[in-house]
Amino acid sequence: MKKQVQPDNGVIVVRDLVKKFNTQLVLDGISLAAEKGKTTVIIGPSGCGKTVLMKHMIVLERPSSGEVYFKSRRIDDMNERQLEKVRTQYGFLFQGSALFDSLSVYENIIFPIRQHHVITDWKAIDELVKSKLAMVGMDGFQTYYPANLSGGQKKRVALARAIAMNPHVILYDEPTTGLDPIRADIINELILKLQRELEVTSVVVTHDMNSAYKIGDRIIMLHEGKIIADGDAEHIRKHPHPAVQQFIHGRVSEEDLAALRLGGTKFKTQYTPEDFK
Amino acid sequence: MLEGIGIKTIDCIGNIGRFARFSGRTVTASMQTCLQPKTYPLIWAQMNTIGVHSVPVIMATGAFVGMILAVQAYDQLAGMGLEEHLGVLINIAVVKELGPVLAAVMLAGRVGGALTAELGTMNVTEQISAVRSMGTDPVKHLVAPRVLACLLLTPFLIIYADLLGIIGGCFVSVVHFGINSRAYWEFSARGVEMWDVLTGILKGFLFGGAIAGISCYKGFNCREGAQGVGEACTEAFVGSFISILAINFIFAVVAKAIYNTFWSIQPLL
Repeated sequence: MKKQVQPDNGVIVVRDLVKKFNTQLVLDGISLAAEKGKTTVIIGPSGCGKTVLMKHMIVLERPSSGEVYFKSRRIDDMNERQLEKVRTQYGFLFQGSALFDSLSVYENIIFPIRQHHVITDWKAIDELVKSKLAMVGMDGFQTYYPANLSGGQKKRVALARAIAMNPHVILYDEPTTGLDPIRADIINELILKLQRELEVTSVVVTHDMNSAYKIGDRIIMLHEGKIIADGDAEHIRKHPHPAVQQFIHGRVSEEDLAALRLGGTKFKTQYTPEDFK
Repeated sequence: MLEGIGIKTIDCIGNIGRFARFSGRTVTASMQTCLQPKTYPLIWAQMNTIGVHSVPVIMATGAFVGMILAVQAYDQLAGMGLEEHLGVLINIAVVKELGPVLAAVMLAGRVGGALTAELGTMNVTEQISAVRSMGTDPVKHLVAPRVLACLLLTPFLIIYADLLGIIGGCFVSVVHFGINSRAYWEFSARGVEMWDVLTGILKGFLFGGAIAGISCYKGFNCREGAQGVGEACTEAFVGSFISILAINFIFAVVAKAIYNTFWSIQPLL
């Protein structure tokens, strides 16, 4: 019998997590523990609930049932006010960067600091912004606005903002999606660099296998709302489950091919927007 | 069909409940914001966008209202030889109803649309989630400053609309129709009471709160994509417009009752 995950098994622990959007079951009894100082990568096809799972880890979504723990404290039942304190220990890199359009790069980075501290020493803040931007190779862009940056640059600035408060945990939602292979690899290197230098616990949601193999200490695959594979890169490469092999090799399934031939629109491996209404 | 009606009713009740919760959170967050000096810059910035930038269009609205009233009412009054009473008609209509309501409608279009579009875009690009993920309450950071700015500045904008309405009406009446200026103002002073001016301005607080509250709510709850943002803007304007008219009606009934009870005995006190 599989051992039950305990709240103190990792920095973030998710236990028996179920998430339903109306009648659509997206996560079906997920249990996992993100270990301290390690990078846990969650893989799976688009629309399989990876981002939903990640949002539960910071309680941007509330579970239908199940529990979420952060540093052995249950957080999914906290109110928004209590969560505000917990969330200061997280850094979240959103898929679309989510930089504030109306603020410059400098203002974006000091945003979380300003929200939780009264700034008196602006010179120190200037230095801090400089150092965070230098870590992601963007020093000198302080006065730029997000509209003037490329996709990769936005991701790097968003990463600098995510680490502005020296978080204990960084959540990356598809950090390399939409970037060319070179820029995607720059982001991978950055994640590894932050891992080494800040010794943070990282959780990465991706469907980029090159990225998953490179940065992941542990890789978890989601399929139809359940974890079907859990282990290091070698374990995943050799995993016998056909869905894992199909995903890591990027092969289309026979069912999806049949749906294509019949002109069907709903693929087995994907939800449609109606499912979430 | 019955099922459809049931679904729509439940949806409607759910929407009202969500809006009530959002309004409650907004009131609490606005009160907290008032007590935190570090959030004042956010309110000043919104005051500049919402208030200062709206002054020209509000003034133009007020001026045209006054001028149109003069043009439309002159013939009827002149036919009865009462053209010198034109000032009463224009000024009371401007300060009591048309100035505040049309200024609020203009604000619902200019400011409400912008608020919904801005917050709606922030919502679909996950900027609101980003605010939450950094341990900040998005209602406190994004909604409260906008609501406070709108609430505090709408009465001032109504004063501008009233002022320009009065000037516009006077300009057409005196300069174009040649009504005696002294008689115009004397009749106006006799007909328009301080109560009329005050109720017109006081309505502004309610209009401002309703416009900002509805627009921010629609922005926060808009559907994904450009179409979702567009629909939210339309719904915000329609909702604000209906609310302005409904608030105006309720306010008129309440104000009349208060006037009949207290204001008429004011000289005795």
